[in-house]
Amino acid sequence: MLSAAGRDNGARLQTRGKAGIITRMAKRTIAGQRAAASVLLVRKSLWQCGTAAPGYVKGENTRSYSLCNTAEGGCATFSYTFSYRFSALLSALVFIGGSFAGEPLILDPNVPSTDLTGNIQVWGWNIAAASLEKLVPPFNDIYPRVIVHVNMTGAYLQSRFLLSLSAGVGAPDVSQLQLAEAARYSRTRRLTDLTPVARKYEKDFPASFWRNCVFEDKIYAIPWDMGPCAVFYKRELFARYRIDPGSIETWDDYIAAGRLLLERSGGQTKMLQLSTGNMEGLFEILLQQNAGQMFDDEGRIAVNSQQALRVMGVIQRILEAGINANITPYSHASYASMKSDLVATYPTAAWFGGTIKDYAPETKGDWGVFRLPAMERGGLRTSNLGGSVLVIPDQCPQKAAAWAFIEYTLCTREAQIEQYRNFDLFPAFLPTHGDPFFDEPDPFYGGQKVRRLFAQDIERIPPLNRTKDWFEALRYLTQSLSKWATNGMGPPEEFLRQLEDKLSRRLGRDIAPQAPLEGS
Amino acid sequence: MSSAAARRNSLRSRIWRHRHFYLFISPFFVLFGIFGLYPLLFSFYLSFTRWDGLTELTWAGLGNFANLIHDEVFFTSLWNTFAIGVLYVPPMFIGAFIFAIILNTTWLKFRAFFRAALFMPVVTPMVVVAIVFILLYGQEAGLINYLAARMGLQPIPWLVSEQWSKPAIALLLVWRWTGYNMVLMLAGLQGISHEYYEAARIEGAGAFQRMWHITLPLMRPIFIFCSIMSLIGTVYMFDEVFVLTQGGPGTSSTNFGLYLFNVSFVDFKFGYASCMAYTVAFFVFITSLFILRLRRSELT
Repeated sequence: MLSAAGRDNGARLQTRGKAGIITRMAKRTIAGQRAAASVLLVRKSLWQCGTAAPGYVKGENTRSYSLCNTAEGGCATFSYTFSYRFSALLSALVFIGGSFAGEPLILDPNVPSTDLTGNIQVWGWNIAAASLEKLVPPFNDIYPRVIVHVNMTGAYLQSRFLLSLSAGVGAPDVSQLQLAEAARYSRTRRLTDLTPVARKYEKDFPASFWRNCVFEDKIYAIPWDMGPCAVFYKRELFARYRIDPGSIETWDDYIAAGRLLLERSGGQTKMLQLSTGNMEGLFEILLQQNAGQMFDDEGRIAVNSQQALRVMGVIQRILEAGINANITPYSHASYASMKSDLVATYPTAAWFGGTIKDYAPETKGDWGVFRLPAMERGGLRTSNLGGSVLVIPDQCPQKAAAWAFIEYTLCTREAQIEQYRNFDLFPAFLPTHGDPFFDEPDPFYGGQKVRRLFAQDIERIPPLNRTKDWFEALRYLTQSLSKWATNGMGPPEEFLRQLEDKLSRRLGRDIAPQAPLEGS
Repeated sequence: MSSAAARRNSLRSRIWRHRHFYLFISPFFVLFGIFGLYPLLFSFYLSFTRWDGLTELTWAGLGNFANLIHDEVFFTSLWNTFAIGVLYVPPMFIGAFIFAIILNTTWLKFRAFFRAALFMPVVTPMVVVAIVFILLYGQEAGLINYLAARMGLQPIPWLVSEQWSKPAIALLLVWRWTGYNMVLMLAGLQGISHEYYEAARIEGAGAFQRMWHITLPLMRPIFIFCSIMSLIGTVYMFDEVFVLTQGGPGTSSTNFGLYLFNVSFVDFKFGYASCMAYTVAFFVFITSLFILRLRRSELT
């Protein structure tokens, strides 16, 4: 029992400590003594190499020991020399690694793309990394002398990224981050300020996305894909149980259709997968659809609102109707449900299409998409969930090459459309949305023109404020929702009041003043 | 020159005279200093600060500790740790003891096979175990619920309900660690001399009396050892919970180890995490002292 858990704990402590040491070293060197210190150490070590004769320590040794001979003295000298050499090497490495940190990203317009050289490391996760990998050959047609390595390991990427930023060494040249994380990293000033080269693209991305990439009027990240929402459904199940997807306009229609489905299938088919322990995704979709907020513009807690109350109403009605399968998202059961008759619809973001194609390719042609139900007839029928960005850590020594890669992959029509075509990454780059590609039928969805459907009304999606503690807030939301659902769903007003209190206490933020709720 | 200074002086000169020996034993101390002592001291310092690993570290005084007192998730995680411990330790001990007794009998065939089979879960990588258990536990498509439905029973929402997540983890722990404790107890049983049993049999003691008056008292040191291992293992348990439930649903299976991980490596609140770790380490230290004292008084 002890061994595994104990080891784990030890490893964690060590990681934390290591990060601390390296940070301090990096800080100290960056403080200006870097060059002087390393030169001094290199000199000292050279001098030691030259004079590391046994005679150097002999006088001391022979006084203490009769046994001590030159061999032993030489050995000790070797150790001293070695440690000097080692520290010289280390400080030289830190010197080389750190010498580019903080350098502004300035491009020389006179350098042709064929002359730009570099060897860049890119971090991303699963589908996204595969998508970037596929763009390397066309990128190399334009920049033949920039070598790109895409590292496709998403496991705890955010923790590893944080540690390498903190240490000042070890970060990739380009990294993927979730859009919601961009705010957290922008304010650390460990990312390259992209303002001089990226300002011209501001108009090309949705304002709600761009806002999350900017901190104190400086641009630190470029939006990649976004997650416009709709409902994926299984055509065969809808036909079998005589349900018309076109008739579902509001969430109440959706729930009514779910009841019908449940009844006609004898309880075998559920409308959606929604586990009471993971309801934050649906909450976020609904909240953004209805222009609600977790935090107001000043970062105060704003979750106790009329909009959030309506969101809670929808969730409560879904749970009470019993039309949800209690399946954890991204679990084996969840992937299995894509192939079985258990779940009929998935109200989620466009990138989910890539997941289906990945896990259930044999279901090709059986899928359809209808627009996200609105809160009331005529209401907004889309929202956003997820989306990611690319950033360049400030420690990157080849910023021009890294930027060239980002600019090619995210700010050109052909690259963004390739990514959508191959991996269902819905481009945040707006100029692509007018492309005829968006009007091509997609055979995976029975020939439906789903891309146009996802692109509809994107500019109307209300922005969602994100803070540096966004994920922590989301976790408290998940936990509170789970407790609420388990304890028999008390009044939503009471739930939101308690959540507001909890967020305020745990995050150390004030509660936003707001208009009193209707009817209270 | 005072005598204290003279003593210091002579100490220093003695160290200097023996410096080569010190040099040869230094690798351990250097490595321990860097990877053992420094993190320990630095995280103690961190527990009085606010730090996210990237921006400037700020002094928080006792702010983290004040926060901790009002942190309901922290107390929930301690309660969960305790509850999971209570759920899995007794069945694990009883099971381990029974298996150890069976394996210790003379009539059992294929003993090596059974011993290896029971120990196998301990050496199986946790991720593999977790995947198998997630498949077993699935509410809609899990094997256990499939069998239950075949027998006309209601399906159990193992991993998706707040009530069942702790029993689900406890069941995995029993399966995983029974073999480990069984091996320890088997070693203990084999260490008891046969002469005691022979003597008891001659005196006319029955099987129950032999168990009660010979086996159990002589096994006590083993039991205490297993208890301490389980206590520490329970407090710092991480991987089982992490791969099976990630602490959910809600906070129903968030134990101390997982909460510590979340606070430090998801929220990046290193100061607060250090404060939590030191507080709990302090109580574990006190409890261990208490158990050791208990043991010493029993042995003497």
